[in-house]
Parts: sequence; C-alpha cells; structure tokens
Amino acid sequence: MSIQSASWRRGLGASTLLLIMSACVGVGYVGGGYEPYGYVGGGYEPYGYDYGGWGGAYRVGPPRGGPRGGGGGRHAPSIPSAPRGGGGHGGHPR
Amino acid sequence: MNVVLDRARISVRREIFALLACLTCSLAFAAPYELPPIGGSGPAEHHPGKIIWADLVTPDLAAAERFYAELFGWTYQTIHAGNTDYAVALLDGRPIAGLLQKPLPSGERRQPAWLTFIAVRDIDAARRIALGHGAKSVSEPKTYTGRGRQAVLADPEGAVIAMLASSSGDPPDYLAAPGEWIWSSLLVRDPAQEATFAKAVFGYDVFDLPSDDGAVHVILSSDDYARASVNSLPSSGHRRAHWLNFIRVMNAAESSAKAVSLGGRVLVEPHEDRHGGNIAVIADPAGAPIGLMEWSDTDTKVEPK
Repeated sequence: MSIQSASWRRGLGASTLLLIMSACVGVGYVGGGYEPYGYVGGGYEPYGYDYGGWGGAYRVGPPRGGPRGGGGGRHAPSIPSAPRGGGGHGGHPR
Repeated sequence: MNVVLDRARISVRREIFALLACLTCSLAFAAPYELPPIGGSGPAEHHPGKIIWADLVTPDLAAAERFYAELFGWTYQTIHAGNTDYAVALLDGRPIAGLLQKPLPSGERRQPAWLTFIAVRDIDAARRIALGHGAKSVSEPKTYTGRGRQAVLADPEGAVIAMLASSSGDPPDYLAAPGEWIWSSLLVRDPAQEATFAKAVFGYDVFDLPSDDGAVHVILSSDDYARASVNSLPSSGHRRAHWLNFIRVMNAAESSAKAVSLGGRVLVEPHEDRHGGNIAVIADPAGAPIGLMEWSDTDTKVEPK
C-alpha cells in the first residue's frame, strides 16, 4: 500500500466519523421515517381517507363584513382586509 | 539522510492535504443551512395563533414545483438542507411555503399532505400545554437558523399541526394576495372539544357561528382577526381529522380546471361558501389536498345572525 493511498484512507475515515457525529445531532421521528440531519418538516399521512365528496355542504369559509370585535355582541371577526402596501401594517379596518 | 527527510516531509504534507480535502467535503455535505426568514421586512411583529407557514411533503419535488408554479405563480428558492431537498416557495419574492422532498416509506401507501404552522411565542411552553390537553408529539422541538423553533404535534383527534416561534417575527396582517394562503380549516368529529384545545394552546377567542344546515362552524380568532375555522366532518365516507389550507384565487372554477389540466384532481367541486365567494378543494398530482378560495375585496356579505 502506498503512502498516498494510506493518507486518503485516513482522511476518508476522519470524514466518515465527522458525518456520523453530525448525524447524531438532530435525529428526529418524522411520520414514519428518520431524518438524520436534514430539515424536519411534516410527514406523510395515513392513506385511504376521503378529503372530498361533500358537495355544497362543504362550507368552511370565514365570515365577512359586519361588526368586528371579540367582546360585546360576540360577532366573529373577519380576516385582515388591509391591502399590502396600502398604508399601515395591516391595521384593523373598523 | 536528506532524501529520507524530504520523503517524510512530502508524506506528511500529503496526509494533511488529504485530511483537509476530505474534511472540507464532509463539512460541505453536512453544513449548517439557513432558511429564509418569514417575518415582514419591518420591525418584528408577533401574532400568536396566526397560520404563518405551510410545508408540503411530497415524493416528487420537481413535479410539485411545476404544478404550484403554474397554478399560483410561485417561484422557488432551493435549499439543500443537509440530506433533504427543500424548496421555499415565493410569491413576489416573499417566502410563503415550503416543499419538501421525502421518499415514500417502501412498501407503504401514504398520503402526501400539507402541514399547517401556527405562530406561538414559546414553543416549549405551548407544547407542554398541548401535551397536557391530549396532544401527542410527532417531532420534538428543533431550532432552524433563519426560521426559528418549531415542533409537530397531533391534536386530540389526531390532526397533525406544527407550531412555530419565528425568529424574524410573523408576517404582518394584510389581505392575502392571489396565490397566498388566505384561510385554514380544521375538520374534526368534535369541533367543540377541538376548539377548547386550540383555545388552551394558542389562546384563541372562539366564536360559534349560526348555521342553517346543522353543521358546526366555529371561528378561531386572535388579534381580532379570524384565523381559522373548526368544522364538523360529515359522517359519510372514510374520514380522519385534518387541517386544510386555502389559497386565494380569482376564480375557483378556472383554477380547479387548470389544476386538472396540470395533473391534479378536484375533491370538492367549486361552490359558494358562506362568505359569498366560491371555494373548492383539489389534490395535487401526488394527491396532497389543498383548498382554493375566492375573496372579493368589494363583497359586503354579512354573516347571518
């Protein structure tokens, strides 16, 4: 074995050790699999469930218009209505 | 003697070079990465309870990128996050979502899905409350440079949700532009119990809305803005509790048709919702459900009393 190949083998050994060490830092369970050190987002959901088939009964949207405010008459507020770049930081248009 | 010393020096130099080269390669592969901040460009704002992010898990990142780019006009910033390919979706340069390539577990059929992220100030405190109210941990809290600290949970009915304490603050409260998230719904068997859970964990104000069709419709609000709804699942079909996020579109019927032409499917046909605009639910080419919602700036329909 030449001196050169021995050098590379030692280098590869060191890098492998480093990879293993870095992998140990952030192991986390992700919906059926393990992510060694990458970004841990969500996971896959179980298969075979229905997400549709509701037709017109599927009414889940937010209220709009009407009085706002959490107290008093308990009218549900709506979503932000201030346009981006329209002045203010999403101020409450009452 | 000099020749032997020279050979020894050369050998040592080669070893050092080889070690440095391999270490450089290793560090490049396992290098820390930075995710783009999701807060606004101004001073950091915090809006606990606001839906501030969504991640798609998909087996084919390239196909997902094409589909959403064509449908919503998204562009992408690709990040090699360790051993993970992660595309940050941008709308007009603003990061709004993440697309994560993840291989399907071999031999299993699984459902690609979008994961909803709700803003909190303190991940660990919110997580403790959630676990104390019947949630289960899906992934432990983890801090990402540029993004903040996040954790994934399954709520008492099993709907998977992420909480995120953004290190750059939360996006400001503007009306969503077409192509941006505008609304989120939690569909469950027991909306009252789930609303109580959400109130305890995220501090929402809870509003029961009257409904003329007998379905339960609860609004979760924070900062005096509606953030999400909790709705009852129909008894028919094979269903499980889940979150569904809606993108604002100008025309739900046209966007649904375009989704089909791009390889997607329509799960709920476009129809008028309580706010006066049309909504629809589609699935992307890999099967991940996502909602479409029209929202006119000028409609003034008032919720029935």
